[in-house]
Amino acid sequence: MFEMIFSLVMGLGFGFALQKAGLGKYNKIVNVFRFTDLAVLKFMMTTLAVAMVGVFALNTLGWIALPAIPATYLVGNLVGGLIFGVGMAGAGF
Amino acid sequence: MMKLLKQKEWSPYLAGILLGMVYVVSIVVSYIITVASGAFENIGGLLAQAVYPNLANNTYFKFVMPPGITTAVMILLGIIIGAFVSAKLSGDFKLQIVSDPQWKRVFGTSIWKRWVVLFIGGIILEFGAGIAGGCTSGLAIGGGLFLAPSAFIFIAAMFMSGIPTAMLMYWRKY
Repeated sequence: MFEMIFSLVMGLGFGFALQKAGLGKYNKIVNVFRFTDLAVLKFMMTTLAVAMVGVFALNTLGWIALPAIPATYLVGNLVGGLIFGVGMAGAGF
Repeated sequence: MMKLLKQKEWSPYLAGILLGMVYVVSIVVSYIITVASGAFENIGGLLAQAVYPNLANNTYFKFVMPPGITTAVMILLGIIIGAFVSAKLSGDFKLQIVSDPQWKRVFGTSIWKRWVVLFIGGIILEFGAGIAGGCTSGLAIGGGLFLAPSAFIFIAAMFMSGIPTAMLMYWRKY
């Protein structure tokens, strides 16, 4: 039960951040593939950097253990990503 | 503070910092990785079970993506509410059928065209996410922050196909 409510709250933060970054808009998503507006990349990479530093710092301090990372499955990740990109650039979300 | 919350659009860096902290908190508290695409598969599995149980009777739904109201579904619900709150606060919220000025300029105001592309694009996107094992949020960011190789393969592949797709769609206007 706690996990459910906690997930909802985390989703709230996620949706809020995405909307504020303007990623709910078609042009933001498509323009990153046209190199005319790199907001998506800036947003994604900032998130990655912040989360990376936070998680690894806490891990080094010994406060948290690292959970299992998504398995590497070269063909799956690659083919899935290729299909995903077509959908993302086409639909724009 | 209130002024910031009411701003229509933040710098992507600021929004990125907020989302990065969301990821850290969620990992610290319960090891949940914020995912978006998984919820559709969980709900899809539920629907399949209800309509035609044989459809849900395979390895994928049994082991990879069990149907049900999972934490992913709750996250999806939270995303919708969070985005709504954000849009309401900034007065950015409106219901639209053809969403975007850029789309209208390039592809015209036809409603069905936008909806068909959106629908098919959504299917392709979700299908790809299912094969890759995650979407932008769950795999690219949620895996990338642990430096998982799969995440970076996925990001590279996403742009490898996304750029030509955008080129084709925008042909002369690219």
